[in-house]
Formats: sequence, structure tokens, C-alpha cells
Amino acid sequence: MQGLGASLPALLLLLLLLSAQLPPPAVADQPPWAPAVERALDPGSRLAVGAARVALHKYNFQAASPSGLRALGQVRKATMKSIPGTGQKYYLQFTTEDYRSRENAGSCLATVLYPKKKSPPAVNIKCINTKDQNQIQEEDNRLYRKLKHQTKPIIGSNIPDSFGNMEPAFEPVWALAVAGSSYMMWEKSTEKVGYFMSQVKSVKQWMRKDDSLEFDYTILLHEMPTQDMILCHMRLIWLPGRPLKVKYTCESDSHRLEDGSGMESGSAAGIIHEREENF
Amino acid sequence: MPRGAMGMWGELFRLEMKVLLLLAALVAVAAATEDFVGHQVLRIVPSSAEELRRVQELQDLEELQLDFWLSPRGTGDPVDVRVPFPSLQPLKAHLEANGVPYSIMIKDVQALVDHEQMQMLRHRRRLQPLSTDAFDYSSYHNLDEIYAFIDLLVAENPNLVSKLEIGRSTENRPLYVLKFSKGGTNRPAIWIDTGIHSREWVTQASGVWFAKKIVQDQEKDEGLASILDQMDIFLEIVTNPDGFVFTHTTNRMWRKTRSKRSGSLCVGVDPNRNWDAGFGGSGASSNPCSETYHGPYANSEPEVEAIVNFVKNHGNIKAFISIHSYSQLLLYPYGYTTTPVPDVEELHQVAKEAVAALSSLHGTKYTYGSIISTIYQASGGTIDWTYNQGIKYSFTFELRDTGRYGFLLPASQIVPTAQETWLALKVIMRHALEHPY
Repeated sequence: MQGLGASLPALLLLLLLLSAQLPPPAVADQPPWAPAVERALDPGSRLAVGAARVALHKYNFQAASPSGLRALGQVRKATMKSIPGTGQKYYLQFTTEDYRSRENAGSCLATVLYPKKKSPPAVNIKCINTKDQNQIQEEDNRLYRKLKHQTKPIIGSNIPDSFGNMEPAFEPVWALAVAGSSYMMWEKSTEKVGYFMSQVKSVKQWMRKDDSLEFDYTILLHEMPTQDMILCHMRLIWLPGRPLKVKYTCESDSHRLEDGSGMESGSAAGIIHEREENF
Repeated sequence: MPRGAMGMWGELFRLEMKVLLLLAALVAVAAATEDFVGHQVLRIVPSSAEELRRVQELQDLEELQLDFWLSPRGTGDPVDVRVPFPSLQPLKAHLEANGVPYSIMIKDVQALVDHEQMQMLRHRRRLQPLSTDAFDYSSYHNLDEIYAFIDLLVAENPNLVSKLEIGRSTENRPLYVLKFSKGGTNRPAIWIDTGIHSREWVTQASGVWFAKKIVQDQEKDEGLASILDQMDIFLEIVTNPDGFVFTHTTNRMWRKTRSKRSGSLCVGVDPNRNWDAGFGGSGASSNPCSETYHGPYANSEPEVEAIVNFVKNHGNIKAFISIHSYSQLLLYPYGYTTTPVPDVEELHQVAKEAVAALSSLHGTKYTYGSIISTIYQASGGTIDWTYNQGIKYSFTFELRDTGRYGFLLPASQIVPTAQETWLALKVIMRHALEHPY
């Protein structure tokens, strides 16, 4: 063993070894040092994928287009920044697919900010369109006209059914449910909790005298990672080219809770959330 | 097909008619050449000896190809005859010329046959298939149907397949494991389970398909043949039968077991949080009403305990694969901790290869990695326990899709899902074969 001069590099080496023991950036628990530094994430990691999904929920809601719905393809790039006093901000690049046909629909750039205080994530998203926008609008209009031509109110349940079957007549109504549910799922998502629309338990049309279409839905959402099935009631008003109007309440599962500790007494009726997007 | 003399009318006649039609349908289906388009069934009631004679004569006119459903007997007894389209005009002309009145009972036989055939086909689907070749792999089945399939498969392949009962569920249903073995004693083995979460229907359906696939390919697929030459395969198709029945009878979205505990209104334990690996830690719930309730203690669930006992008693399992849906992921341990497993690099590489093989078939994209980094923190999970038992090649699949249909995956996707997953399974099995430890 040499003199004091040799122990400094040894100390540095030790520090290096210690830092190598720290978990990789893709994992949730992060050391508190250097919070404003942007950190690269494994694009396949649950935080990156979760954030991309949230961004798409907002996109699908704002697009208000049952024919233009997008599903997540692959996350290509993801970075995360912890903004002290504000929250966690994700920067994402991902591909998307047409929700029904699974054809490539173009890629998107998005930022998702999960605020420290419990409120909807703030999302900025811009997407490229591989599909002709006029064509999408045409399809929406066609869908709209078909639905408007119904003389009797549309009523349905279990769409799709237990076996994944969906009657073609109900597909437009289901697609609208996806668009409307996207609003609920966007609002409810947090960095750790995400959603999928599982099933339309029931749908009932309210006939209107004006041009809009109005539906009353009961929607089953699948919540992750709790694996809970959340029942939501959603009222939706649609007119092609206009923002989607959505009002909803979700029953909080009586067994919903944070991190497996204790028991939260759920109340059956939640708060009524109402949203109409401004142009 | 002439009918013998029957004195009955009304319902009996209708019953006979139905039988006749069914027979006709069967004949048509079997022969696949005859059809009844444009055929009519005429009813003639001879009211005199003369008329009776005229009608009896018709039986000798072979070129008309008349088919007497009710043959001529006596005056006043109805005669029903199916008349092929080309013979309609000549016959009617003949009857009219001779003053023999008739009425048209069935205007279009084919339409009726089609209807009956459809009814029969629908009915037949719900009847038990007589062989695993007749089993419908493209639809979802209930527990009875799957258990019947298992028995058929064993009966058809007694030299390769046997059925083991490894325990009973909470509601006392047998827990069956299929053993695929070409012989030997306690050979190194591969374990595959599907349906541990009952609502994940594509997994049990895929398990059924895997079972048939192993039997079909055991000779002609070199890869599989060489695996079976040295290793056994154990397959538990319905790992959570109580939950599975519940998804059919009551709640399609039921996930857990159906165990009941005094002091709680809620039923069931998450069987994938009930294993003795980080049991009770973060990533499971202590609330009995939660979907991720870990249970009162590790292995409290008989469904889990049965597998634990089996694995420990066998002692020579080299690969353990537990199959779930949905999300399109291939996962290796751990779920309960961020600490990587010692074999992380090898498992990661195997997963990479398996996912590539899977994707090669229908282009389905999978993500892979450890449970905790890829899906979420989960404690008390199956493959964390099996890995800690020394089963190095421990993997979990999350099959199709990524959320569009989720648990309600259309039946048309069962076979493509099973096919692609099988390719990934073969990669893992082959790796276990080629890397004994």
C-alpha cells in the first residue's frame, strides 16, 4: 500500500463502483440528486409506455373522430425530467397505428407532465398523419349520417361481448365510446396508474332535435397496475368537426387503494366531471 | 325415401317430417352433390280407387325421380311426394289431366333443408366433439369442454400423453396437468401454465392449442422431437378452474381464485401474488377486496400450493413458463425487487430471440424485460418463486393484444396468437435443452 496520494484515486474508484450499483434510469425510485437533468428512459419501460398512452388519450379525445382514433405503436425515444415543485415531465417520440386496422398512422411527439398535485396530466402532442385527413373526415361524416338516419334510439349492451364479438352495427357507437373514454382515461391517469377501455357495458341514445348525436354509456375501464375494473357512466355529445362533449362519473371500486396499505372506503358516486374543449 | 305405413297425423307426422328432413340434410351434406333447389312436396289424397291407382302408377315412373315421403296406401290416406324441379310440370300436368287433386305442401324444399342444416350445425357446435381433430380451436370453450378435450387427447395418444391430478381447487375442482413424455424417469422438464388469471381467456384457449400441437408435431417437427427425446413437457391448461367457471357463469372479468375467508365480504386471492417470493411486499394488496390481494399467507390458495408441491416433488424442472394476457410482453424475474437476477443477461438474450421468433409469424410486436421494469412492481409472483427455486428459465408471457380488446380478444385471434406464441415457447424450450444445468 502506497502513501495518501494513492488513496484518492481509490476513493474515486469506490465512488464509481457505488454509483454503478444504483438502479438504472428506467426504474421508478430515483436518487434525489440533479433533479432538473433530463434522463433517457428505456423506450420499452412502463413509465415511457404509460406516458405515451396518456398523450394518446388526450389526442384521441381532442381529435373527436371515431374514424381517426389511434393506438400506440412503439415508443422510439423517451426522456424524463424531474421539475422540482412542479412534477415529472416526459418527452416522447412514438409511432401510432389506426385503432381498428392496426395500419401505421404516423408518429407523434409529445410531452406529458404529471403534476405533483393530483390533477390531470398536462399533455402537448403533435402527430404526423399518414392517412389522408379528408378521408378520415369523410368516414366520420358517413358514420354520422348513418347514425342520424336511425329512427329509433340505439340501445346496446356488452360491446364487445364475452367472446370479443362486436356487431358491425355497433362499431361506430363503440368507436365514439373510445373517443369519449379517452377523456376519462386522460384525466384519471397518473405516473403510476394507467387505463384501458375494456367494454361498453351499455349504450343508450338520446334523440335530439338538433344536429348532434347524444349517447349515454356505461363503460368498464381496466386500471393498471391495480387490475381493478372501474365502472364509469358517461354522457357524450358528438357533431363531426366539433369538440366532443363529455360528462362522466366513475364508481371508485370499494377496494381501490394506494400501494397495498390499508383500506380506503370508496364512495359509489364520484364527482361529475364535465369538459368541453375550446377551439 | 319412402316411408312405411303410419296411421298417425299431427305432431307425429311433423316429427317424422323433421327426422326426414334431417336425414335429407345429412344425405346432402354427406353426398355433397344432391340439392333440393326448386323441389316441392305435393300432397295427394286419393278419394277413389281410380285415383289411388293413378297415384300408385307414379311410383313406377323412375325417370321422374319421385321421392315418396308417404307412400300410397288406401283411399283417404294422404300421399306425400317430393318432386324434383324438372318433374314438377310433367307430374302436375299428369295429375290434372287425370282429375287427381293435389296441394303444394312445401314450396321449396331447399329452403327448409338449409334452415334445418343451419340449426343442426349450430346444435352440433355445442355437442361434444368425438375427437380432438373435430375440436374447434378457433372458439372459446368452457371448463367441461376443455376437460373433455383433455380426456380425448390422452385417449388418442396414450403413449405420449397422460393426465395428472395435482390437487383440487377451493371449490373442489380437479387441477389437471398434461404430461407429454416419451419415456425415461423424472426427465428434466418444461412447465407451461395458462389461465391462472381466469379472465385471460386467450391463454386457456392457447393452452388447448399447444396441447394438440405437441401431439401433432412430436414426430414431424425436428425441434420438438429432439426436445421430447430428452425432456418432458407439463402443461396445466386451466390453472384456476373456479375463476374460469365464474367468468362463464357470472362475471366475465373475474381474475382471482374463489376462496372465501370469514371476516371478509370479498372473495378470492390473486394467484399471481400468492407465491413465496417477496410475499406481502409492495406490489400486492393486503385488502381482500383488491384484485391483487396476496392472500392471508403464501400458498394459501390450493391452486398455487398444488403447483408448489408438484415443482418441489419433481425436482427436475428446468424451464417454467406462466402465461397471461394482455399486453404483448415477455418477462423474466424479478417483479418484487429492482435487483436484477444473476442470469439477467442470458434471460434477456433468450427473451430477445423468443420475441423475434414470435414476431416472425404475424408481425406481432412484443416488448421484453424484467417484470418490474417492464410492467410494474409485483410481489409474490409465480416466476419470482420458481426462479428462486433454481429454475433458471422462468418466464411470463402477456399475450395479445395491447388494449384494443384486452381480455375480450375476438376468437378469430386465438389460433394466430397460439401459433406465434408457440414459436417463442420453442425457443425457450430449445435453449433449456441445449443449456442443461
